Amino acid sequence: MSSNGPTGKEGNGGTDGGGGGCGKSDCGCVSRRTVMKGVGATLGTAAFARAIAPLTEWAANISADEFLQRHYKELSLVDLNIVLRRLEKETKDDYGAEVTISDPKPQEGVKFGYALNLSVCNGCRKCAEACHIENNHDRPSHQSYIRVFEMQKGTMDMEQGNVNYDKPVPQPDKFYMPVQCQQCEHPPCVDVCPVEATWKEPDGIVVVDYNWCIGCRYCEAACPYHARRFNWTKPEIPKEEINPDQGYLSNRIRPQGTMEKCTFCLHRTRNGRLPACLEACPTGARVFGNLLDPKSEIRWVLEHKRVFILKEDLGLKPQFFYFFDS
Amino acid sequence: MMAVSKKQARALVIFSGGIVLVFGGGQVFHHVFASNRQEPVAAGAAAGPAAPAPEPATLHPVHYRLPSGAPRVSTGTTDPGGQPVAVACSTCHTTTKPNFQTHSGAQLVQFHQGLNYVHGNLTCLSCHNDQDYNSLHLANHQRVEFTDVMQLCAQCHGHQWESYQHGAHGGMNGHWDLTRGARTRNICTNCHDPHAPKFPLVQPIFPPRDRISVPLPGHQLQETTSLKPATSTSPPHHGTP
Amino acid sequence: MSDLPPTSPVVPRPFSWRSFGRFLGNAALESLDGGKVFYVWMICLSAVFLVGANAWAVQVRDGMALTNMSDHVSWGLYIANFTFLVGLAAGGVMMVIPAYLYHDEEMHDIVIIGELLAIAAIIMSLMFVVCDLGRPDRFWHLLPPFGRLNFPVSMLSWDVIVLNGYLFINAYICAYLLYTRYLGLTPNPRWYVPFVFLSIIWAISIHTVTAFLYCGLGGRPFWNTALLAPRFLASAFVSGPAFIVLAIQVIRQAVGRHFGDGPIRTLVNIMRITILVNLLMVVSEVFTEFYTGGAHTSSGRYLYFGLHGHTELVPWIWCSVGLVIVAAGLLLSPSVFTNPWVLNTACVLAFIGIWIEKGMGLIIPGFVPSTLHEIVEYRPSAIEWKVTAGIWALGLILYTLFIKIAAGIFLNRTKLQALPDIQPAPAPAETPSISATS
Repeated sequence: MSSNGPTGKEGNGGTDGGGGGCGKSDCGCVSRRTVMKGVGATLGTAAFARAIAPLTEWAANISADEFLQRHYKELSLVDLNIVLRRLEKETKDDYGAEVTISDPKPQEGVKFGYALNLSVCNGCRKCAEACHIENNHDRPSHQSYIRVFEMQKGTMDMEQGNVNYDKPVPQPDKFYMPVQCQQCEHPPCVDVCPVEATWKEPDGIVVVDYNWCIGCRYCEAACPYHARRFNWTKPEIPKEEINPDQGYLSNRIRPQGTMEKCTFCLHRTRNGRLPACLEACPTGARVFGNLLDPKSEIRWVLEHKRVFILKEDLGLKPQFFYFFDS
Repeated sequence: MMAVSKKQARALVIFSGGIVLVFGGGQVFHHVFASNRQEPVAAGAAAGPAAPAPEPATLHPVHYRLPSGAPRVSTGTTDPGGQPVAVACSTCHTTTKPNFQTHSGAQLVQFHQGLNYVHGNLTCLSCHNDQDYNSLHLANHQRVEFTDVMQLCAQCHGHQWESYQHGAHGGMNGHWDLTRGARTRNICTNCHDPHAPKFPLVQPIFPPRDRISVPLPGHQLQETTSLKPATSTSPPHHGTP
Repeated sequence: MSDLPPTSPVVPRPFSWRSFGRFLGNAALESLDGGKVFYVWMICLSAVFLVGANAWAVQVRDGMALTNMSDHVSWGLYIANFTFLVGLAAGGVMMVIPAYLYHDEEMHDIVIIGELLAIAAIIMSLMFVVCDLGRPDRFWHLLPPFGRLNFPVSMLSWDVIVLNGYLFINAYICAYLLYTRYLGLTPNPRWYVPFVFLSIIWAISIHTVTAFLYCGLGGRPFWNTALLAPRFLASAFVSGPAFIVLAIQVIRQAVGRHFGDGPIRTLVNIMRITILVNLLMVVSEVFTEFYTGGAHTSSGRYLYFGLHGHTELVPWIWCSVGLVIVAAGLLLSPSVFTNPWVLNTACVLAFIGIWIEKGMGLIIPGFVPSTLHEIVEYRPSAIEWKVTAGIWALGLILYTLFIKIAAGIFLNRTKLQALPDIQPAPAPAETPSISATS
């Protein structure tokens, strides 16, 4: 905004310095030259300080505790609780909302799987909207972890797909394919992270420590499913729309400049509840459950339906499946 | 260096503050201190069976969103108290002769005129019970209550019924893990109009916005929280301006 | 300890912190003294740098939404420049190889020009990475033991290590060579030649590792090619020498001495080969893409011809192809050795051509179409151009100062005067790192 102000000033001051320097010919030149250098250096420093002044405004919003917070896995339970209470307070201060941030842990004997019935999905994007609301996404950007593709019947070529459709659905010659994080068994996003800010949990969910991520976006480049999102700016959500039931590793409001992703709503699913996108689906296209439980719905689907995996050739072994009714 | 000393100082403060709070009876901090020694224990999820649940675990129920009973038809009049008057199907149909040929809303001359009826080659009385209009009947003329309508649907739609039984068809709410909570499931007629079961056209919710840097005028989330059936002529009511 | 007078160069003198401190002080003073042209040049660069610094500060405060990057094109101009500059740094070593591997004595004397370029380029590339971070305040998360560097799994952690390693190796070599010269001594090969050979291997490694950043991503077919690392090296060995050839001529003007005809000839001969190798690799890539066809080639189609009416990159890449081909033609013509205009034009064209090819032409099409085959285009925003210009300006400032220091010492203007014996040696200063001179 005010980028030209300080620079122009410095340029003028500096040019004077240069002119003074070259006009020397008598023996008093050394001191004059030194003086001009001093003036130039002072002006330069002042201009630099003004140029980076926005940094101080930004740094004022980062508390020492936030700056020094350790990695999630290094936090003791005491530390973790301190962090959770601090984050609740920050949410109160920043957004004016009373929220509860918990940290539900993975259950033993549970590995989450998700299946989606492409025969019945009608492309209404209710899942994307539910995700938007449940996960406290930035409102102006319509952010959501789910992208629904309107696909041409007769081909799986995604290049012929379209996410920006706005005609009533379903169109007769189209089918609809929502894509979200596939919670890969071998997640490339985890491999590439330079600071171990993202990892795969025992129940199969790939999570991000939003307070450890440095925002290099390498994971976003590595993900073949476009599952990751970056907080390009501080999320903007009206106070009354904030979902107060929040998880540290899932839907708490993310800080600016960090990565986020679908966590299968772990603040719900680790407490036995269904994910928000499933509850919102009006067609019942979504099936969620425990892959390790042979009697679960998800296992029935995998054993009885025509199941396929998106980009199976990449060998990442997703825990997200698509199927068709026969 | 700084991080460590800072952390130690913080831990000290927490420790002393924690004691005060424990005496004050703060439940959260009590929990923290109780589980402080054996480290990896669930923090937030205090409740819930962490170990594999024993086989005869008490399962929470699955609720089905059943109709309360046979439908009642509005007469279009109000009683002296101002309440609309609705009558049972049998109120009229006991005095009318059943017509086994009717298979379209256009054929109806008195009630139900303009009924949108698109359901294969079935006639009205393929499903409605001509013996007792307050109920339905199966193909073998066995009587079925309105609350058991899924039995009727399942006669023809076996694949869907099979999927439904395994949780792979039909919307639901609540818990995936019935050891930890109940679940509510839709039945066929919550989503499919039995007279025109094909899922209606709907207007999709907001599309994604991919260019964060491009400002969007009036950027509030569209108020499209209810899934309204859209007629095919209605223009799309939103989109990227 | 350092009680020997400076006028006895034959006696080997041990390193002394005191004389090293004076070396740094003298160097800093020398680097800030100059004529009118020098001041105008530095002031202009400082102005551009300040614009960039301000743009970056605003970007950090308000978020990277101010850039034109998106969740589809998540890396842009910054990473493009980073990639190019790693190449430039690696290319600097192209003076070291003839000098030390093939004992080119004339090259030996001015090899420091290439190594100083490597230092400046590495500093710039690291700055580009920092500017690309959403949370620069969490940079310490990369630094063990407080941070958690995901080594060896993440290629980016390798890159952090090799880039900083390369920076320190070159900073050490340069500081050693300049310091011994400053003392009036002949550098002892035992103390720097092993590091020179290390830096040769390391130069290859920084660019290979940077290529592996991209070609290890299975979800991005445009990058997922084994040819990427060799292509990076070939193009680096064009852009590096091109810059050095130009730099030598500018330095000749500035110090008023004629030198370096032999090295320039060697560099041109290197470029004659590497630019053709680079073109050959581009041709094989293009052939593989377009002869095979299919969905995996859509990035290539987007880059060269546009896809479904989206043609943002087409002018860039054809511009680059044209510049490199013309540069190759000029370099191959005999007049490149006789006519400085031909030489300089060729170097400028090759430099810009490679900058586009390695930057916008390599990074952006990896993201377009996205992994789900959506097309969201990218054009750098004003903020991104400002930050980029600012970092380039700072890089040029640093390189100018480094060269001035080196020139002062090599031309015997900056020499160690007799140390006045007033105080005991000062407390141990920091290790010889180039940052102390800037």
